[in-house]
Amino acid sequence: MLFPIIALLVKAVGVDDFLPTLSSKIALDALRLSLFSSAISMIIVILVGTPFSYFLARSRLPAIRIVDIFVELPLVLPPVVAGLAMLMVFGRYGLLGRWLEPFGIVIPFTLVSVIFAQVFVAAPFYIRAARLGFQMVKVEYEELSQTLGVGPLQTFWKITIPLAWPSLLGGIALAWARAISEFGATIMFAGNFPGRTQTMPLAILSALESDLSVAIIMAGMLIFVSFLLLTILGFLRIKSGD
Amino acid sequence: MSEGWIRTSVGGFYLDVAWEVAPGEVLVVYGSSGAGKTLMLRAIAGLLKVHKGYIEVGGTVVFDERHDYWLPAHMRNIGYVPQNYSLFPHLSVKKNISYGLFDLTPTQVDHRVDRLLKKFNLVDLKDQLPHHLSGGEQQRVALARALAPEPKLLLLDEPFSALDIQTRRHLRSELSNLLNFSNVPIILVTHDHDDALVLGDRILVIDSGRVIEQGDPLELLGRPSSLIFASLIGIENLYKGFVLSRSAYNGTMLCKTHDITLEVPIAEIAEGDIVNIGVRARDVLIATSYPYGLSARNLIPGEVISLEMDSNGIEVSIDVGVLVRSRVTQEAARDLHLGPGTKVWVIIKASSCFLVDGRAR
Repeated sequence: MLFPIIALLVKAVGVDDFLPTLSSKIALDALRLSLFSSAISMIIVILVGTPFSYFLARSRLPAIRIVDIFVELPLVLPPVVAGLAMLMVFGRYGLLGRWLEPFGIVIPFTLVSVIFAQVFVAAPFYIRAARLGFQMVKVEYEELSQTLGVGPLQTFWKITIPLAWPSLLGGIALAWARAISEFGATIMFAGNFPGRTQTMPLAILSALESDLSVAIIMAGMLIFVSFLLLTILGFLRIKSGD
Repeated sequence: MSEGWIRTSVGGFYLDVAWEVAPGEVLVVYGSSGAGKTLMLRAIAGLLKVHKGYIEVGGTVVFDERHDYWLPAHMRNIGYVPQNYSLFPHLSVKKNISYGLFDLTPTQVDHRVDRLLKKFNLVDLKDQLPHHLSGGEQQRVALARALAPEPKLLLLDEPFSALDIQTRRHLRSELSNLLNFSNVPIILVTHDHDDALVLGDRILVIDSGRVIEQGDPLELLGRPSSLIFASLIGIENLYKGFVLSRSAYNGTMLCKTHDITLEVPIAEIAEGDIVNIGVRARDVLIATSYPYGLSARNLIPGEVISLEMDSNGIEVSIDVGVLVRSRVTQEAARDLHLGPGTKVWVIIKASSCFLVDGRAR
């Protein structure tokens, strides 16, 4: 597993135009877009996914199993299919798109579509981990907190979140890594427009068609950024006592 | 004062209880597991929604079904110590205790927490996390945490169930001392009659979700007056018989049960009426030869069937025409050379026999 990554990094550092390529507009734009869009995606995933995972963890409804299947579907679905499905929803003639267009709201091939694609593929990773984390927090702690005068929302902040924190961080790490490396759904749904929808994986594909060494350097950059993200989140997990 | 009643059904289990507990009083809710004790506490604490009832805590109504009024747990000001204590694992002892003190100033919090740390002998442990504490220490922290917000009612659910017998005995008296300091009404749930005797001012006995007895623990546990309660608290010898004769002069009556006759305290029962007689195993003496010059009224010959050792000594089963259980120490069993087949005399004072259910028809 490690060998291809080392091979790629060694090759990237050995390229003659390493530094100029690294600081080229196209690479920096793609990197900026990747970081920005994945950060926004993660905020959405966390804000929506946290209460949703908590609901899944605490719910005793039998129908939850069906909800589970839908939540985990993007994990097994080829990303291209996911992109196509999103086009069917938000495209000009899509289920929602046809109603949004008259109001001037166009989602496909914009930054919003990049974010939508990332949320779609990354959210299951976070929701799965968060749900498991919440399930490990005993309901008794939450009940006890309430008998001490602390309301349900405050209890969630003061007891549930801190106790599930290592799992939440694990979920964020996995989901962020998935979002930043997202390719198939993005190219289908958002296209490959430099500076607008071209994230790092798409920029690598474009570079591959013209200059292999540029592609290699950008791939190295992506590995480095992903590694940095996972390291920071891993460090936070250790610090929080996982 | 805290009082109330609840009538509800939870997953097919029907709970119908009423209670009243005064400041500084410990009301013991006694019953076997599955009797509905914990459900009752959870309903009072506001952790379980009930269908019908009325609950008042320290003069404040927290639930009144007639007016569709139900206060959630965090607004009831009721301290709760669950069976496993549920100390917050990510918070130190000090932070666990101060958890419910969010509406006080930092100085007030420090003052109250320091007072509780001292009172519960936890000063040296204040920075420890719960998993570093022993069972007894955890119990003290849980109690201090529940008392910190100065609740109007304290609920204790089987406070010793997680502990071994030695620790249990030690902590029972420790808890008894700590509770003496407090003027908070306390409802304590247990299935251990020693807990009820040591800690309870009053006892409420529940079985299958219903109150079957209530009163003074010493009186009720010593002389249970209903068959259900007698078997619930493990009265080892229970016999069904009928009254042969009554002697107002002796204050006793002779009752025939199986092949033996027992002399028991007199009651308002006619000759020929059916009675249930209870005798605690610890009140049954054993002699290996006929004991002359004894005041005890019941001397019955028999043969030892078996000896069973447990944490409280040895229970000897003796066949006297009916099975009689006696509790002796290991030393006594050794001195008397007791073993299966040993011929013995069973000795029971008339006053050690009690009638259960008054009469059974």
